[in-house]
Amino acid sequence: MSMHRVAAPKRIRLLALALLAGVSAGPVFAQGTSVLPIADAKSRQAVERVIASAEAKGLPTQPLVAKAMEGVTKRATGERIRVAVDSLAKRLEQARALLAPSPSAAEIVSGADALAVSVPGPMLKKIRASWPKTQSVVMPLDVLTELVARGIEANKALEQITTLMARGATPAHIAGLGASVQSDVAAGLAPDAALEVRARGVMSLLPSPAAQAAGAPRGTKP
Amino acid sequence: MNDETNHPMERDPLIERVRAALRAAPEGASHQRAVARVLSVAFASPRRSVFRRALDAWRTPAFTRLGAVAVAGAALVLGFVTRGAYVAGPDTEPMTSSGSPTGEFPVVRASDIPSDERLIPTQFILDDHKAASVSIVGEFNQWKVGATPLTRLANGVWTATVPLSAGRHVYAFVLDDTLMVADPRAPKAGDADYGREGSVVMVFAP
Repeated sequence: MSMHRVAAPKRIRLLALALLAGVSAGPVFAQGTSVLPIADAKSRQAVERVIASAEAKGLPTQPLVAKAMEGVTKRATGERIRVAVDSLAKRLEQARALLAPSPSAAEIVSGADALAVSVPGPMLKKIRASWPKTQSVVMPLDVLTELVARGIEANKALEQITTLMARGATPAHIAGLGASVQSDVAAGLAPDAALEVRARGVMSLLPSPAAQAAGAPRGTKP
Repeated sequence: MNDETNHPMERDPLIERVRAALRAAPEGASHQRAVARVLSVAFASPRRSVFRRALDAWRTPAFTRLGAVAVAGAALVLGFVTRGAYVAGPDTEPMTSSGSPTGEFPVVRASDIPSDERLIPTQFILDDHKAASVSIVGEFNQWKVGATPLTRLANGVWTATVPLSAGRHVYAFVLDDTLMVADPRAPKAGDADYGREGSVVMVFAP
Protein backbone atom coordinates (compact mmCIF):
# COMPACT_ATOMS: atom_id res chain seq x y z
CA MET A 1 0.00 0.00 0.00
CA SER A 2 2.80 2.37 0.85
CA MET A 3 4.23 1.68 -2.59
CA HIS A 4 0.94 2.79 -4.11
CA ARG A 5 0.93 5.94 -2.03
CA VAL A 6 4.40 6.76 -3.27
CA ALA A 7 3.72 5.73 -6.86
CA ALA A 8 0.49 7.67 -7.33
CA PRO A 9 2.02 11.18 -7.34
CA LYS A 10 4.75 9.88 -9.63
CA ARG A 11 2.13 8.56 -12.01
CA ILE A 12 0.31 11.87 -11.92
CA ARG A 13 3.55 13.70 -12.68
CA LEU A 14 4.27 11.34 -15.57
CA LEU A 15 0.75 11.80 -16.90
CA ALA A 16 1.11 15.57 -16.68
CA LEU A 17 4.41 15.37 -18.52
CA ALA A 18 2.91 13.17 -21.20
CA LEU A 19 -0.01 15.57 -21.62
CA LEU A 20 2.36 18.52 -21.82
CA ALA A 21 4.48 16.71 -24.39
CA GLY A 22 1.41 15.87 -26.41
CA VAL A 23 0.09 19.42 -26.32
CA SER A 24 3.43 20.92 -27.24
CA ALA A 25 4.11 18.32 -29.95
CA GLY A 26 0.90 19.22 -31.78
CA PRO A 27 1.91 22.63 -33.10
CA VAL A 28 5.43 21.42 -33.91
CA PHE A 29 4.06 18.54 -35.93
CA ALA A 30 1.49 20.79 -37.55
CA GLN A 31 4.23 23.13 -38.73
CA GLY A 32 5.99 20.15 -40.23
CA THR A 33 9.36 21.23 -38.93
CA SER A 34 11.82 19.60 -36.58
CA VAL A 35 10.37 16.18 -37.18
CA LEU A 36 11.94 15.39 -40.52
CA PRO A 37 14.15 12.33 -40.25
CA ILE A 38 16.78 13.64 -42.67
CA ALA A 39 20.16 12.43 -41.50
CA ASP A 40 22.13 15.26 -43.09
CA ALA A 41 21.67 18.13 -40.60
CA LYS A 42 22.54 20.86 -43.11
CA SER A 43 19.98 19.63 -45.61
CA ARG A 44 17.41 19.10 -42.90
CA GLN A 45 17.76 22.66 -41.70
CA ALA A 46 17.56 23.92 -45.28
CA VAL A 47 14.36 21.93 -45.82
CA GLU A 48 12.92 23.26 -42.58
CA ARG A 49 13.69 26.80 -43.70
CA VAL A 50 11.90 26.22 -47.01
CA ILE A 51 8.87 24.89 -45.17
CA ALA A 52 8.88 27.76 -42.67
CA SER A 53 9.16 30.25 -45.50
CA ALA A 54 6.24 28.64 -47.33
CA GLU A 55 4.19 28.76 -44.16
CA ALA A 56 4.97 32.44 -43.74
CA LYS A 57 3.70 33.01 -47.28
CA GLY A 58 0.46 31.19 -46.51
CA LEU A 59 1.20 28.26 -48.79
CA PRO A 60 0.09 24.74 -47.84
CA THR A 61 3.01 23.07 -46.05
CA GLN A 62 1.70 19.53 -45.84
CA PRO A 63 2.71 18.71 -49.45
CA LEU A 64 6.21 19.97 -48.66
CA VAL A 65 6.50 17.74 -45.60
CA ALA A 66 5.15 14.84 -47.66
CA LYS A 67 7.70 15.54 -50.41
CA ALA A 68 10.51 15.48 -47.85
CA MET A 69 9.17 12.28 -46.31
CA GLU A 70 8.87 10.76 -49.77
CA GLY A 71 12.57 11.43 -50.25
CA VAL A 72 13.36 9.85 -46.89
CA THR A 73 11.29 6.78 -47.73
CA LYS A 74 12.97 6.53 -51.12
CA ARG A 75 16.36 6.90 -49.43
CA ALA A 76 17.31 10.01 -51.38
CA THR A 77 20.24 12.11 -50.24
CA GLY A 78 19.58 15.15 -48.07
CA GLU A 79 20.60 17.46 -50.88
CA ARG A 80 18.23 15.81 -53.31
CA ILE A 81 15.40 16.13 -50.81
CA ARG A 82 16.20 19.79 -50.32
CA VAL A 83 16.11 20.43 -54.08
CA ALA A 84 12.81 18.55 -54.45
CA VAL A 85 11.14 20.40 -51.57
CA ASP A 86 12.45 23.76 -52.77
CA SER A 87 11.21 23.07 -56.27
CA LEU A 88 7.77 22.09 -55.00
CA ALA A 89 7.56 25.23 -52.86
CA LYS A 90 8.18 27.33 -55.95
CA ARG A 91 5.55 25.45 -57.93
CA LEU A 92 3.03 25.90 -55.12
CA GLU A 93 3.64 29.63 -55.11
CA GLN A 94 3.39 29.80 -58.89
CA ALA A 95 0.18 27.75 -58.92
CA ARG A 96 -1.41 29.97 -56.30
CA ALA A 97 -0.71 33.03 -58.42
CA LEU A 98 -2.03 31.37 -61.56
CA LEU A 99 -5.23 30.19 -59.87
CA ALA A 100 -5.95 33.53 -58.21
CA PRO A 101 -7.86 35.09 -56.59
CA SER A 102 -8.57 32.55 -53.85
CA PRO A 103 -7.57 28.99 -54.65
CA SER A 104 -8.03 26.29 -52.02
CA ALA A 105 -5.06 24.34 -50.73
CA ALA A 106 -6.15 21.33 -52.80
CA GLU A 107 -6.34 23.48 -55.95
CA ILE A 108 -2.87 24.89 -55.30
CA VAL A 109 -1.47 21.37 -54.88
CA SER A 110 -3.19 20.19 -58.07
CA GLY A 111 -1.85 23.21 -59.92
CA ALA A 112 1.66 22.48 -58.67
CA ASP A 113 1.33 18.85 -59.83
CA ALA A 114 0.26 20.06 -63.27
CA LEU A 115 3.29 22.34 -63.47
CA ALA A 116 5.47 19.37 -62.44
CA VAL A 117 4.52 17.47 -65.61
CA SER A 118 5.27 20.56 -67.69
CA VAL A 119 1.76 21.89 -68.18
CA PRO A 120 2.31 25.54 -69.15
CA GLY A 121 1.28 28.07 -66.50
CA PRO A 122 -1.27 29.95 -68.63
CA MET A 123 -3.24 26.71 -68.98
CA LEU A 124 -3.95 26.77 -65.27
CA LYS A 125 -5.43 30.23 -65.71
CA LYS A 126 -7.56 29.00 -68.59
CA ILE A 127 -8.86 26.09 -66.54
CA ARG A 128 -9.71 28.45 -63.69
CA ALA A 129 -11.51 30.80 -66.07
CA SER A 130 -13.57 27.95 -67.53
CA TRP A 131 -15.59 27.38 -64.39
CA PRO A 132 -17.31 29.62 -61.87
CA LYS A 133 -15.08 30.82 -59.03
CA THR A 134 -17.08 28.78 -56.54
CA GLN A 135 -16.41 25.55 -58.41
CA SER A 136 -13.27 23.63 -57.48
CA VAL A 137 -10.89 23.02 -60.37
CA VAL A 138 -9.05 20.17 -58.65
CA MET A 139 -10.49 17.51 -60.92
CA PRO A 140 -9.92 19.29 -64.27
CA LEU A 141 -6.36 20.08 -63.20
CA ASP A 142 -5.70 16.52 -62.06
CA VAL A 143 -7.14 15.05 -65.25
CA LEU A 144 -5.09 17.48 -67.33
CA THR A 145 -2.01 16.38 -65.40
CA GLU A 146 -2.83 12.71 -65.90
CA LEU A 147 -3.52 13.09 -69.63
CA VAL A 148 -0.23 14.92 -70.13
CA ALA A 149 1.56 12.29 -68.03
CA ARG A 150 0.10 9.60 -70.36
CA GLY A 151 1.76 11.32 -73.28
CA ILE A 152 -1.00 13.54 -74.65
CA GLU A 153 -0.04 17.02 -75.77
CA ALA A 154 -1.02 19.60 -73.18
CA ASN A 155 -2.79 21.76 -75.79
CA LYS A 156 -5.02 18.91 -76.96
CA ALA A 157 -5.80 17.78 -73.44
CA LEU A 158 -6.66 21.31 -72.34
CA GLU A 159 -8.89 21.88 -75.35
CA GLN A 160 -10.95 18.75 -74.68
CA ILE A 161 -11.26 19.47 -70.99
CA THR A 162 -12.25 23.11 -71.34
CA THR A 163 -14.74 22.23 -74.07
CA LEU A 164 -16.37 19.72 -71.75
CA MET A 165 -16.36 22.22 -68.91
CA ALA A 166 -18.00 24.85 -71.09
CA ARG A 167 -20.68 22.32 -72.07
CA GLY A 168 -21.63 21.73 -68.45
CA ALA A 169 -19.59 18.65 -67.65
CA THR A 170 -19.40 17.80 -63.97
CA PRO A 171 -16.21 16.87 -62.11
CA ALA A 172 -17.39 13.26 -62.34
CA HIS A 173 -17.60 13.54 -66.14
CA ILE A 174 -14.11 14.99 -66.28
CA ALA A 175 -12.78 12.31 -63.91
CA GLY A 176 -14.48 9.62 -65.98
CA LEU A 177 -12.69 10.94 -69.05
CA GLY A 178 -9.34 10.70 -67.29
CA ALA A 179 -9.98 7.21 -65.95
CA SER A 180 -11.21 5.92 -69.31
CA VAL A 181 -8.22 7.30 -71.18
CA GLN A 182 -5.97 5.81 -68.51
CA SER A 183 -7.51 2.36 -69.06
CA ASP A 184 -7.42 2.65 -72.83
CA VAL A 185 -3.75 3.62 -72.85
CA ALA A 186 -2.96 0.75 -70.48
CA ALA A 187 -4.78 -1.55 -72.90
CA GLY A 188 -2.56 -0.36 -75.74
CA LEU A 189 -4.62 2.38 -77.44
CA ALA A 190 -2.69 5.45 -78.57
CA PRO A 191 -3.16 8.27 -76.01
CA ASP A 192 -4.41 10.84 -78.55
CA ALA A 193 -6.90 8.40 -80.01
CA ALA A 194 -8.11 7.39 -76.55
CA LEU A 195 -8.69 11.02 -75.61
CA GLU A 196 -10.60 11.81 -78.78
CA VAL A 197 -12.88 8.79 -78.48
CA ARG A 198 -13.55 9.18 -74.79
CA ALA A 199 -14.13 12.94 -75.01
CA ARG A 200 -16.81 12.27 -77.64
CA GLY A 201 -18.34 9.73 -75.31
CA VAL A 202 -18.58 12.24 -72.49
CA MET A 203 -19.84 14.92 -74.86
CA SER A 204 -22.72 12.68 -75.86
CA LEU A 205 -23.89 12.70 -72.25
CA LEU A 206 -24.12 16.48 -72.11
CA PRO A 207 -26.92 18.73 -73.36
CA SER A 208 -26.36 20.25 -76.78
CA PRO A 209 -25.42 23.94 -77.07
CA ALA A 210 -28.83 24.62 -78.63
CA ALA A 211 -30.60 23.01 -75.69
CA GLN A 212 -28.46 25.03 -73.31
CA ALA A 213 -29.29 28.24 -75.12
CA ALA A 214 -32.98 27.37 -74.93
CA GLY A 215 -32.68 27.02 -71.16
CA ALA A 216 -33.02 23.28 -71.05
CA PRO A 217 -32.15 21.70 -67.72
CA ARG A 218 -28.47 21.02 -67.28
CA GLY A 219 -26.72 18.38 -65.31
CA THR A 220 -25.98 19.72 -61.85
CA LYS A 221 -22.43 19.90 -60.68
CA PRO A 222 -21.75 18.26 -57.37
CA MET B 1 -45.80 -35.89 0.07
CA ASN B 2 -44.24 -39.25 -0.76
CA ASP B 3 -42.29 -40.66 2.22
CA GLU B 4 -40.24 -42.94 -0.01
CA THR B 5 -38.45 -40.17 -1.86
CA ASN B 6 -34.70 -40.16 -1.64
CA HIS B 7 -34.28 -36.45 -1.22
CA PRO B 8 -31.03 -35.79 0.70
CA MET B 9 -32.84 -33.70 3.25
CA GLU B 10 -34.85 -36.75 4.28
CA ARG B 11 -31.77 -38.03 6.06
CA ASP B 12 -31.63 -34.99 8.27
CA PRO B 13 -31.89 -36.39 11.86
CA LEU B 14 -34.09 -33.56 13.07
CA ILE B 15 -36.60 -34.08 10.30
CA GLU B 16 -36.57 -37.79 10.84
CA ARG B 17 -37.35 -37.23 14.51
CA VAL B 18 -40.18 -34.85 13.69
CA ARG B 19 -41.54 -37.32 11.19
CA ALA B 20 -41.36 -40.19 13.68
CA ALA B 21 -43.06 -38.16 16.39
CA LEU B 22 -45.88 -37.20 14.10
CA ARG B 23 -46.33 -40.80 12.91
CA ALA B 24 -46.64 -41.88 16.56
CA ALA B 25 -49.46 -39.45 17.13
CA PRO B 26 -53.12 -40.60 16.71
CA GLU B 27 -54.08 -41.16 13.10
CA GLY B 28 -56.44 -38.73 11.50
CA ALA B 29 -57.00 -36.67 8.49
CA SER B 30 -56.07 -33.51 10.36
CA HIS B 31 -52.79 -35.08 11.48
CA GLN B 32 -51.96 -36.20 7.99
CA ARG B 33 -52.45 -32.67 6.78
CA ALA B 34 -50.31 -31.38 9.64
CA VAL B 35 -47.55 -33.83 8.71
CA ALA B 36 -47.77 -32.72 5.13
CA ARG B 37 -47.52 -29.08 6.14
CA VAL B 38 -44.59 -29.70 8.48
CA LEU B 39 -42.70 -31.72 5.91
CA SER B 40 -43.40 -29.30 3.12
CA VAL B 41 -42.08 -26.50 5.27
CA ALA B 42 -39.06 -28.63 6.25
CA PHE B 43 -38.22 -29.48 2.63
CA ALA B 44 -38.97 -26.07 1.25
CA SER B 45 -35.85 -24.22 0.23
CA PRO B 46 -35.07 -21.14 2.26
CA ARG B 47 -36.09 -17.89 0.55
CA ARG B 48 -33.24 -16.87 -1.67
CA SER B 49 -32.07 -13.35 -2.18
CA VAL B 50 -32.73 -11.58 -5.48
CA PHE B 51 -29.02 -11.70 -6.23
CA ARG B 52 -28.88 -15.45 -5.55
CA ARG B 53 -31.90 -16.09 -7.76
CA ALA B 54 -30.40 -14.02 -10.55
CA LEU B 55 -27.11 -15.86 -10.21
CA ASP B 56 -28.83 -19.25 -10.34
CA ALA B 57 -30.85 -18.19 -13.34
CA TRP B 58 -27.69 -16.95 -15.04
CA ARG B 59 -26.08 -20.35 -14.53
CA THR B 60 -28.80 -22.24 -16.31
CA PRO B 61 -27.62 -23.13 -19.84
CA ALA B 62 -30.50 -21.42 -21.63
CA PHE B 63 -30.09 -18.22 -19.72
CA THR B 64 -26.31 -18.28 -20.11
CA ARG B 65 -26.73 -18.05 -23.87
CA LEU B 66 -29.43 -15.42 -23.55
CA GLY B 67 -27.30 -13.52 -21.08
CA ALA B 68 -24.30 -13.59 -23.38
CA VAL B 69 -26.41 -12.10 -26.16
CA ALA B 70 -27.79 -9.48 -23.77
CA VAL B 71 -24.32 -8.54 -22.54
CA ALA B 72 -23.01 -8.34 -26.11
CA GLY B 73 -25.93 -6.10 -27.06
CA ALA B 74 -25.37 -3.87 -24.08
CA ALA B 75 -21.67 -3.64 -24.90
CA LEU B 76 -22.46 -2.67 -28.47
CA VAL B 77 -24.88 0.04 -27.35
CA LEU B 78 -22.39 1.31 -24.80
CA GLY B 79 -19.66 1.28 -27.43
CA PHE B 80 -21.70 3.28 -29.90
CA VAL B 81 -22.77 5.78 -27.25
CA THR B 82 -19.27 6.32 -25.90
CA ARG B 83 -17.78 6.46 -29.39
CA GLY B 84 -20.35 9.02 -30.43
CA ALA B 85 -19.54 11.09 -27.37
CA TYR B 86 -15.85 10.78 -28.07
CA VAL B 87 -16.02 11.61 -31.76
CA ALA B 88 -18.40 14.52 -31.31
CA GLY B 89 -15.58 16.82 -30.35
CA PRO B 90 -14.74 20.30 -31.61
CA ASP B 91 -12.83 18.84 -34.57
CA THR B 92 -16.02 17.60 -36.15
CA GLU B 93 -18.02 20.74 -35.56
CA PRO B 94 -17.02 22.77 -38.60
CA MET B 95 -18.55 20.11 -40.82
CA THR B 96 -22.04 21.24 -41.75
CA SER B 97 -24.67 18.92 -40.46
CA SER B 98 -28.40 18.80 -40.45
CA GLY B 99 -30.82 17.04 -38.20
CA SER B 100 -32.55 13.79 -39.03
CA PRO B 101 -36.35 13.68 -39.19
CA THR B 102 -36.39 12.72 -35.51
CA GLY B 103 -33.87 15.41 -34.67
CA GLU B 104 -31.88 12.93 -32.58
CA PHE B 105 -28.92 12.06 -34.75
CA PRO B 106 -26.90 14.59 -36.75
CA VAL B 107 -26.62 13.59 -40.39
CA VAL B 108 -23.87 14.95 -42.62
CA ARG B 109 -24.95 15.17 -46.22
CA ALA B 110 -22.29 14.50 -48.83
CA SER B 111 -23.33 17.71 -50.58
CA ASP B 112 -22.51 19.66 -47.41
CA ILE B 113 -18.85 18.69 -47.56
CA PRO B 114 -16.70 20.64 -50.04
CA SER B 115 -15.85 18.38 -52.96
CA ASP B 116 -12.12 18.94 -52.30
CA GLU B 117 -12.50 17.43 -48.84
CA ARG B 118 -14.83 14.51 -49.55
CA LEU B 119 -13.09 11.20 -48.95
CA ILE B 120 -13.85 8.27 -51.18
CA PRO B 121 -12.98 4.74 -50.02
CA THR B 122 -10.44 3.43 -52.51
CA GLN B 123 -9.33 -0.18 -52.57
CA PHE B 124 -5.80 -1.25 -53.36
CA ILE B 125 -4.76 -4.83 -53.94
CA LEU B 126 -1.45 -6.57 -54.47
CA ASP B 127 -0.99 -10.22 -55.35
CA ASP B 128 2.30 -11.13 -53.73
CA HIS B 129 2.57 -14.47 -51.95
CA LYS B 130 6.19 -14.02 -50.87
CA ALA B 131 5.88 -10.82 -48.86
CA ALA B 132 5.52 -11.10 -45.09
CA SER B 133 4.04 -7.60 -44.85
CA VAL B 134 2.82 -4.98 -47.31
CA SER B 135 1.96 -1.35 -46.73
CA ILE B 136 1.02 1.50 -49.02
CA VAL B 137 2.69 4.90 -49.09
CA GLY B 138 1.69 8.14 -50.74
CA GLU B 139 1.12 11.79 -50.03
CA PHE B 140 -2.09 10.82 -48.21
CA ASN B 141 -0.02 9.26 -45.40
CA GLN B 142 3.09 11.39 -45.90
CA TRP B 143 4.95 8.39 -47.36
CA LYS B 144 5.26 6.80 -43.93
CA VAL B 145 6.16 3.15 -44.26
CA GLY B 146 3.84 0.96 -42.21
CA ALA B 147 1.28 3.71 -41.61
CA THR B 148 -1.24 2.03 -43.90
CA PRO B 149 -0.73 -1.73 -43.84
CA LEU B 150 -2.49 -4.07 -46.24
CA THR B 151 -4.26 -7.18 -44.95
CA ARG B 152 -3.53 -10.58 -46.39
CA LEU B 153 -6.67 -12.47 -47.39
CA ALA B 154 -6.98 -16.25 -47.21
CA ASN B 155 -6.25 -16.46 -50.94
CA GLY B 156 -2.91 -14.70 -50.43
CA VAL B 157 -3.94 -11.38 -51.95
CA TRP B 158 -3.09 -8.23 -49.98
CA THR B 159 -5.70 -5.49 -49.75
CA ALA B 160 -6.44 -2.17 -48.06
CA THR B 161 -9.17 0.38 -48.50
CA VAL B 162 -7.98 3.94 -48.03
CA PRO B 163 -10.24 7.02 -47.88
CA LEU B 164 -8.88 9.46 -50.46
CA SER B 165 -9.98 12.83 -51.73
CA ALA B 166 -11.15 13.03 -55.32
CA GLY B 167 -8.33 13.56 -57.78
CA ARG B 168 -5.00 12.11 -58.79
CA HIS B 169 -2.90 10.26 -56.23
CA VAL B 170 0.59 8.84 -56.60
CA TYR B 171 1.48 5.86 -54.42
CA ALA B 172 3.65 2.79 -54.06
CA PHE B 173 3.66 -0.46 -52.12
CA VAL B 174 6.36 -1.31 -49.61
CA LEU B 175 7.12 -4.99 -49.11
CA ASP B 176 8.52 -6.17 -45.78
CA ASP B 177 9.13 -2.53 -44.78
CA THR B 178 12.08 -2.32 -47.15
CA LEU B 179 11.30 -2.90 -50.81
CA MET B 180 9.31 -0.22 -52.63
CA VAL B 181 7.40 -1.40 -55.69
CA ALA B 182 4.90 0.13 -58.09
CA ASP B 183 1.41 -1.32 -58.35
CA PRO B 184 1.53 -3.75 -61.29
CA ARG B 185 -2.20 -3.19 -61.90
CA ALA B 186 -2.06 0.60 -62.18
CA PRO B 187 -0.55 3.15 -64.56
CA LYS B 188 2.97 4.21 -63.69
CA ALA B 189 3.82 7.63 -62.34
CA GLY B 190 7.19 9.08 -63.14
CA ASP B 191 9.29 10.61 -60.41
CA ALA B 192 11.46 13.48 -61.59
CA ASP B 193 12.46 14.32 -58.03
CA TYR B 194 13.78 11.03 -56.72
CA GLY B 195 13.84 8.73 -59.74
CA ARG B 196 11.70 6.00 -58.17
CA GLU B 197 8.66 5.18 -60.26
CA GLY B 198 5.33 4.85 -58.46
CA SER B 199 1.74 4.28 -59.50
CA VAL B 200 -1.17 6.60 -60.03
CA VAL B 201 -4.86 6.29 -59.23
CA MET B 202 -7.64 8.66 -60.28
CA VAL B 203 -10.22 8.85 -57.51
CA PHE B 204 -13.67 10.17 -58.12
CA ALA B 205 -17.15 9.79 -56.69
CA PRO B 206 -19.22 7.37 -58.78
